[in-house]
Amino acid sequence: MSRSGLVSSAIFFGLLLSLPLWLKDAYLQQIVFRIVIFAILGMAWNLVGGYAGQLSLGHVAYFGIGAYSVALFHEAFDWNPWLGTLAGVVLACLAALLIGSLTFRLRGPYFVLSTIAAAEILRLLALNLSFTHGAIGMIAPGFFEEPNGDRKTYYAALPLLGVAFALTAWTHRSRFGYYLRAIRENEDTAMAVGINPAVEKLKALLFSAALVAAAGALYAGVFQFIGPDSVLAIDLSVQMALIAMLGGAATVWGPIVGAVVLTVAAEGLKAYLERAHLFFYGLLLVVVVLFLPGGLVSIVKQRWFRRTAARAQAA
Amino acid sequence: MAALQAILNGVLVGGIYALIAMGMALVFGVMRLVNFAHGAFLMVGMYAAYFGYTLFKINPYWGFGLVGAALFILGMAVYWLLVRRVMGQSDFLQILLTEGIALCLVGGAQLLFTGDYRSISLPLADRTATWGPLNFNVAYVVSFVIAVLAVTSMYLYMKYTEMGRAIRGVAQNRGVAPLMGIRVQWISGISFAFGVACAGAAGALLLPIFYVNPTIGSPYNLKSFVIVVLGGMGSVEGAALGGLILGVTEGLTAYYWSDSYTQVVDFVLFLAVLLLRPQGLFGKKAP
Repeated sequence: MSRSGLVSSAIFFGLLLSLPLWLKDAYLQQIVFRIVIFAILGMAWNLVGGYAGQLSLGHVAYFGIGAYSVALFHEAFDWNPWLGTLAGVVLACLAALLIGSLTFRLRGPYFVLSTIAAAEILRLLALNLSFTHGAIGMIAPGFFEEPNGDRKTYYAALPLLGVAFALTAWTHRSRFGYYLRAIRENEDTAMAVGINPAVEKLKALLFSAALVAAAGALYAGVFQFIGPDSVLAIDLSVQMALIAMLGGAATVWGPIVGAVVLTVAAEGLKAYLERAHLFFYGLLLVVVVLFLPGGLVSIVKQRWFRRTAARAQAA
Repeated sequence: MAALQAILNGVLVGGIYALIAMGMALVFGVMRLVNFAHGAFLMVGMYAAYFGYTLFKINPYWGFGLVGAALFILGMAVYWLLVRRVMGQSDFLQILLTEGIALCLVGGAQLLFTGDYRSISLPLADRTATWGPLNFNVAYVVSFVIAVLAVTSMYLYMKYTEMGRAIRGVAQNRGVAPLMGIRVQWISGISFAFGVACAGAAGALLLPIFYVNPTIGSPYNLKSFVIVVLGGMGSVEGAALGGLILGVTEGLTAYYWSDSYTQVVDFVLFLAVLLLRPQGLFGKKAP
């Protein structure tokens, strides 16, 4: 990572760490927490969808596995949520191995459809099996006791954001990241230069699934109530993709920008139109695809390049 | 006998599935585009039929033609305004765009009509015909017959008219078609609109036997993917057969196992076909 990148990430995480000290409003704190969770999800999706260019619309499967693990292991064996989270991450990785090794053989629309099918199978199982209590959902244990449980959970989420960020920054610069981008541009050519797409894509999915599962566990611990329609809904998969695409796919800061903009905009809109969020997401998705395929980050980048180019010309 | 009844019910539903999936197969075959908004257009068709019936007393059994025509125009507009811009771009952007359109339609329906479940009650839907040991719900039978007629006439249209030939030409080879004097852009628009019209008309036919709410389309979206994959992506005849197969599979699953697992079986079937026989059950060429 470049020096300016290091400085800006230090400032960013400094702000986040000190946030509960200067932002006292509980409502705003809750919004920041949601931004952090969405940024983690967006960055995790970005590894598979952005860098490797594999449009997964089934990422909610890993989110659901993380969330349900916390609740299920608590109910069955009285495990604490930390142990449940660990189990969730391990299970999500196993699921990613299975789903990935099956679906990564397919390309284009076939791949997209198969990821949706895999996630939908999990949702329908959670809806119909007896031990997940179907549509009623499950109670999940909180991570921390009151008082200040919310703040402690926030500080538990930050390291996860840090891991996601570091992983993305590393991917952006490492050989692994270049492999992924080569696969995205042309899988056959990537194979011809000695990259094994199956292995690299699977690696990206494992990282991604582990992060998403941990975020799902965190979600379960905070909201303490989960159901198939909240943690396994296909909408959430689309939302992860939208966050990354809106900010800028295959960029380090894109998912963070996307999470901030999407959360703030959705929250602002909520006051006016209660049921409009789906319509709003759809509109945003259409606009991003048609007019801003590089995401918001690309606007800043273009301006930056233009300025440096102008300066170079002047000199 | 009960198993035979389950198969029969499956066939009746399968006929409507065939109509839905045929629209998707047409769009995929001609444009290589998977329309993720297909189920959402079906939902729009259901609402159109619903308001046609409640406001203007238009019986969906003949109103489905009007709904199809209206959805054809809507599909044309969506194509020229939005979809046309991503033709020739990556699958990635195409799929995201149609998913965005789907969200707009579903979200728009939520805004306009709320999430309430609505249904109409035709006197026909309460009647049951009996033939030997088998029972037929008359509304299902009428919907099935109309759907089969629509599928057949569409097939004949594709096979024997100049427009049908042009559409098949574009599906076979996008590069050569313009050399034969076919306007590819125009044909793509027509095909997309046709696909949307199929979904809308099928929605109108589903209304007498089903309820409608804004999210009703998404299972049909996934079902038509399953059917189109079963029949071999892009094959219109395959889609018709695939629809019947899916309907019967669901009927038998509901009978031998449980109604709530029909969709699970759908998706397992879908993954199995994609992985083991990606060219579809009847196709010859690998995708």
